[in-house]
Amino acid sequence: MTGRADPAETLAEALAYVDNCLDAPARRAFETRLGGDAELRREVAQWQAQNREIRCAFGAPARDPLDLGRASNENGVRRFSEATRRPETVSRQFGHAGALRSPTQPAPDWRRDAPGAILRGAIALLTLSVALLVAAPPEFGPRPPAALLAAGLAAAHDLAPLPVEFSADDPVLARRLGPRLTLAPPTPRGLHLLGVRLVPGVQAAAALYVYQDAGGERATLMVEPLDEIGPAPARRGAIGTLTAIAWTGAGYGFVAAAAQPDDLAALSDAAALER
Amino acid sequence: MPPSREWFDDACALRRFGLALVRDDRFVFDDIAAAALVDKLLRQASLTLIEGPCEARRAAGVRAFAQFIRLYRRYARRLVAEDDGAWVEPPPCGRACGSAAIVVRSLPIELRETLLLVVLAGFTHREAAAALDVPLTAVVERLARARARLSVQIGAVRDAATRWPQSAHLRVVK
Repeated sequence: MTGRADPAETLAEALAYVDNCLDAPARRAFETRLGGDAELRREVAQWQAQNREIRCAFGAPARDPLDLGRASNENGVRRFSEATRRPETVSRQFGHAGALRSPTQPAPDWRRDAPGAILRGAIALLTLSVALLVAAPPEFGPRPPAALLAAGLAAAHDLAPLPVEFSADDPVLARRLGPRLTLAPPTPRGLHLLGVRLVPGVQAAAALYVYQDAGGERATLMVEPLDEIGPAPARRGAIGTLTAIAWTGAGYGFVAAAAQPDDLAALSDAAALER
Repeated sequence: MPPSREWFDDACALRRFGLALVRDDRFVFDDIAAAALVDKLLRQASLTLIEGPCEARRAAGVRAFAQFIRLYRRYARRLVAEDDGAWVEPPPCGRACGSAAIVVRSLPIELRETLLLVVLAGFTHREAAAALDVPLTAVVERLARARARLSVQIGAVRDAATRWPQSAHLRVVK
């Protein structure tokens, strides 16, 4: 190993890393290199952000941002087995490669350090619990649908202008959405249904019904089946000119979003009355 | 028999890819035509596949995407011939929904199809090379060019979107 790596080779490897085309050993080796090269790390982070933006812009289902590998069970199982087999060489996130213990270094004596470690662990756990309680105190009763509102607003803002995935006159529309979403779409006054799109909800996949009024303005209604059944107070939010209202009931979460107040009122009335 | 979950996923992915790739509305002019095209391509690609392993299903997906790309290129070539070489791909149309989408749709066709095959459809570089019928090095080179342009142009589009409008002082205040 003399001198620097070939730039073209590095570029190809970095692109392959970002697009999840490297196998596990090559991935680990590249992550080790990333730890020592700030410029390359910045470029890779920028490309990963591009990937997320492109997938979000065109309505592709989001992947877990922490899972940099391909989202397949097989890959996950393989990584888990590799990680459990060789704990000394587990790949870490960027910048921590230098902290790994080399295979020749003797393992620490856990029995000698046990009391101190337990005490430190207990203190850390106590601190974490107090911090969590201060930051987010537990709420009793029905949880307000804040997350639902955020998901519905994001879906309406990003996906409503796009063409729908399933048109309204599809004869098997309800069946295509799956057993938990076999609902008759609400029929609000002054709006006609263009179609439906499947979007990521808070807990599961949700259906985004896309409507259009006479003026060509779109309005959306996101319906998500929730495991936690129980009514909760409605919540209102907005992104720019887009206003949304979220509520739960009958085992579903609803988010109606529209730029026009009349459309929003018609949509929420229809959804609330027909459920 | 209702379509399987995998079939449904492939159809959604191919549809998303088509919506992102095609700029000319005359190629597929409405939702029904798009659904029919996607259905036909997937059926053609999976003719030889009867409950095969995962790799065979993935290869069928690559074939369907490759066929879609060939169809769009053939359409573009035909228009070039009809217009006596004067056809250029129309500018992106439709409502803008984010700076990334605007910039991706403004990329040249060869960069756009490579980038979308890898990022949006989730194919590996080798699979993208097979779908586009180009060597692997060409795919890497196109991806590098596309990402470099994205980095520059996304920033420019965002700056333009957040800039204070120049005509704001011309508003009449009663």
